This record gives sequence, C-alpha cells and structure tokens, in this order.
Amino acid sequence: MSVLQELVAGLGAPDFSVVVPEIIILLTAFTIFAIELFTKARFLISVITVFGLLLAGIVIPFTPEGETFYGLYQVDTFSLTFKFFLVMTSFFVVIIMRPYLEAKNTYYGEYYYLLLFSLLGMMMMVSSPNLITFYVGIELASISMYILAGMYRKDYLSKEGAFKYLIMGGTGTALISYGIALIYGRTGSFDFSTIATSITSGNLDVGAVGGLAILLIGLALKASSVPFHFWTPDAYQGATTPITAFMAVAAKIATFAVILKIMVEAFPFAYPVWTLGWALLAAASMIFGNFVALRQDNVKRMLAYSSIAHSGYILAALASPTDFAFTALIFYSLVYIFMGLGGFIFLSAMERQYGWSNHINDFKGLAKRSPVMALFMLVYMFSMLGIPPTVGFFGKLGVFIALIGSNIWWLAVVLVVMSIISAGYYLRIVIYMYMHEPTSKARFNFSLGEAFALAFMATFILILGIYPTLFWDISGYLTAVLLQNIGK
Amino acid sequence: MVPYEYYVALSGLLMVLGLIGVAIRRNIIALLISTELMLNAVNIAFVAFDMKLGDVGGQVFVFFILTIAAAEASVGLGLIMAIYRLRKDVDTETLTELKH
Repeated sequence: MSVLQELVAGLGAPDFSVVVPEIIILLTAFTIFAIELFTKARFLISVITVFGLLLAGIVIPFTPEGETFYGLYQVDTFSLTFKFFLVMTSFFVVIIMRPYLEAKNTYYGEYYYLLLFSLLGMMMMVSSPNLITFYVGIELASISMYILAGMYRKDYLSKEGAFKYLIMGGTGTALISYGIALIYGRTGSFDFSTIATSITSGNLDVGAVGGLAILLIGLALKASSVPFHFWTPDAYQGATTPITAFMAVAAKIATFAVILKIMVEAFPFAYPVWTLGWALLAAASMIFGNFVALRQDNVKRMLAYSSIAHSGYILAALASPTDFAFTALIFYSLVYIFMGLGGFIFLSAMERQYGWSNHINDFKGLAKRSPVMALFMLVYMFSMLGIPPTVGFFGKLGVFIALIGSNIWWLAVVLVVMSIISAGYYLRIVIYMYMHEPTSKARFNFSLGEAFALAFMATFILILGIYPTLFWDISGYLTAVLLQNIGK
Repeated sequence: MVPYEYYVALSGLLMVLGLIGVAIRRNIIALLISTELMLNAVNIAFVAFDMKLGDVGGQVFVFFILTIAAAEASVGLGLIMAIYRLRKDVDTETLTELKH
C-alpha cells in the first residue's frame, strides 16, 4: 500500500456529504473558469453562476451537520445559516452585475469566478473550528477581493483603492498570523476548544493577552473598524459598485460571524480582554465613521463611511459577554445584509443612467423623476438610521438593551448619540430626493434583476420591521449553538 | 543550541520593522516588500515555537503562509504593473487621488 492509502485506511475517508454546498460553488467556479476561455456568451456565464448559487442555496437547508476533514471543518446550524445568507448576498450581486459592467464597458468573465472563490473562502471561514481553516478561508476571500476591487477597466482610482486594500489587508493578514503564532506558542494547539481550555481567567499571561490583542487588531482591520479603516472608503469608492456591495455586505458579515465564533469559542475565559478591546474599537468606529460621513458629497463614499459606522454598532455588542448581546450581534449582522445591499444596489442601478455621478446633487428631485425608486431609497436610509417601522431600529435596540443589561452605559450613550448624528447625512439624501426640484428630465430604465433586488430588499426590511421575532429567534438559536460548542 | 526565545525576539523585530515600513515608505514596491517581510517574520515565529513545543503543527502552518504570501505578492505586483502603466510613477505622495 502507498503512504496515502495507509493514511486513508488509518483515519477513514473524510465525509464529503457535509460540504456539498462548498463543492457546488467550487465546481461552478471551475466551470465558468473553463467556459469563459472558449465562449464570449456573457448571458450563458451569468446564467451558470446564478444556477450554481441557487442550487447551493437549495442544498444548504438539507445539508447534514457534522465534522469532517479530521476535525478541521465543522458544519453546524451556525455555519449553515451564515452560508445561506452569504450565498443569497452573492446571488443578488450576480443578478445586478452584468447590466452594470456592460454599461461601464468593463465586462470581464473573471468577475464571476473570482466572486465565487471569494464566497467559498467566506463559507470556509464561518465553518472553521480551527485557526488553520479560518486563516486559509479569510485569505482565499481577501485575495480574490483584492483582484475584484482592482478590475475596473482603465480606471486609475480602482487600482489605487485596490492597492491600498492589498497593503492594509496584507498587514492585517500578517497581524492575524502573528497573533495565531503567539497563541500557538502559548497553548500548543490551533483548535478552538483546546485553546479555550488552555487559557483560563487565572493564567492570562503576556503570551495569551499579547496573542489575543494582536489577533484582535488584525480582525478589526479586516472588519474595517477605526483606527484600522484607511483602506475602506478608497477601496469601496474605487471598485465597481456591485463589487462594493459584495465587499461591504458579504465580506463584512462573514468577518463578524467569524469574530464572534473565535471570541466565544476560543477565548471564552479571556473575555475581560476582548470585551474592552471591542468596546474601544466600536466607540471609535461609531464616532469617526459618522462624523466623516457628514462631510461627504459623494454618496458612494458616504455609504462607505456609513458602513464603518455600522461596523461600530455591530461590534459594540461584543462589549458585553452575554448571550443576549451575541444574539443582538447576529441579528444586526443579518439585517444589515438587507440595508447594505439595498443601498449599494440602488447606486449600482443609478450609475448606469445618463449623467449620474453619485454626487449628492444627482439625488435632487428623484421623487418626481422616479417615485418608486425614491421610496426604496427612503426605506434603506430610514433603516440604516433606525426609524421604527424598519428593521434597522430593532438592530440598534437589541445592541442598546444588551449594553444597558451589562451596565456599559458609556457605550450605550455613544451609540444613541451617534445614531442621532447619523440622521444628518441619511436624511440629507431624503431631503434632496423629496424637497428639491429635479434638474434633469432624463428618463430612467432599470433591468429586471435590479428592480427585483431593490423591491425584495425594501419589502424584507419592512416585513422584518413588523415581525422582528422571525430573525430574532434564529439569532437566539444560533447563539445557543455557539455556546454549546464551548469546550466541546 | 540557540534557545528559541532568541528566534522569537528576531521575529518580533522583523515584524516591527515591517510595520514601520508600511507606515513610512513612499515607494509602492517597498510597501509590498514590507508586508512580505512581516509574513516572513511570522514564519520565523512559528518555527521557533515549533522548536519549543516539539510539535509539527507550526511547520505545517508555515507552508500555508508561504503559499498565501506568494499569492499576495503576485496580485500586488500585478496591481503595481497596472498602476505604473497608467501613471508612469511609483511614489505614493504623487499617486494619491482618493482623499476625503
């Protein structure tokens, strides 16, 4: 027998049934990779991508739970739920991508399979019970995204944004791996459960705290939290808008999920360190993101700063180590998908129209030119601001109650004050849309995919605003799953 | 035999040098080299801890880091080529157009 056969005979073949969604995504990506070389049929490529994503989305609810690859890959309800939402996000990005790329004359077939590789990396991230799987996943996702961000044909800003993203992302990678090295040196393992049992509240020495702190800084860099946010506005503004939507929503959600998973499962007893760290980062993100967003005239850049502020709101939940706070974090991450996608898909649809440059003046009189689109944007802006009939309110309310429940009043006050300040720029768009006369009479036309995506997001924001318990129950269940995994 | 702490100290030094490089260098190629320097610092740290623990996990991780560093360097060099073609320049002071 060869060495490989002996190994498989000794360990048993890995169980592939739990990674069927990942296999579908990978095969779709390779299919496009091959087809794209021979055919120029753009419609075919996007149809195959959409079909692969739909198939993966249908398979996910029926995927069995379990561990595979010799304990390096863990599939449970937590990871399956996040995978479902990540696939859904990619689906909406793909259906709006082709009209945009063709209008901007920057179509490449590479967009589709790099997006799928990035999605695969994110799916690996959320199902990692081990720092190695997490590291490989986050790098697959990031490196694909550096290329996606820089693929705007003959556009210098896109290259500059992508290069800043690469340098800052590379620094983040180095910090994360140095943190992993220190934790490995301290505990001798990469497994979350072994790390959790090795580092207890009684033996927090320099190695453990230093490793955790460096890992935390690296993760904050990937989640674009202030003061490690420099790349975010540039990369978001430079990239093509559908890719911005993907980076701002899918990558962020996967990062938040994995941050929560690492903090809760690998460092449950070191919580005094990470709660303080995330509280400070969250406060800085909320304050800085909102104040800088106030000064922006370019709406795409404004939404980029608004996404930094939203990182602050979401990470603020990590300041209190209670199951209610973890539920609030998951709930906010899930509902942010709808607001974030809505805002960026709106810009993507508008950028194709004649004379649209994303400047705030372009929004003048939008309500008269296209009442339905203006209404959708109104819903997204109200939701990001947190006005009651929309679900954004319940996201912020959950984090607020969690903070008060743990007596972290200062952060709760920062959250409320900064939400009020954020009205300055969200409502500015609404005022420009509804209270100004239009400067142009040019007609809009939207593709079917864009209209469907925007209507879906707006409807879902309102439905969830009326029945927030729908997602709150899911989030609560995921928290329970996460807490069960501690020390397993 | 050299104790493992010396290697950890060396890796820490290289890491800090890389961070300083990212913060102060103006040439975009030097920026890319600084990030690669940091990843190599991590490799030294892993091998040093491996020596201490007598385990092979750290050495396996080094292979992953090597692969990822290569992928990142190739993407970075591609971007530098694209930037140079558009601008004929590699200095961050004169290249920056995206500002608040």
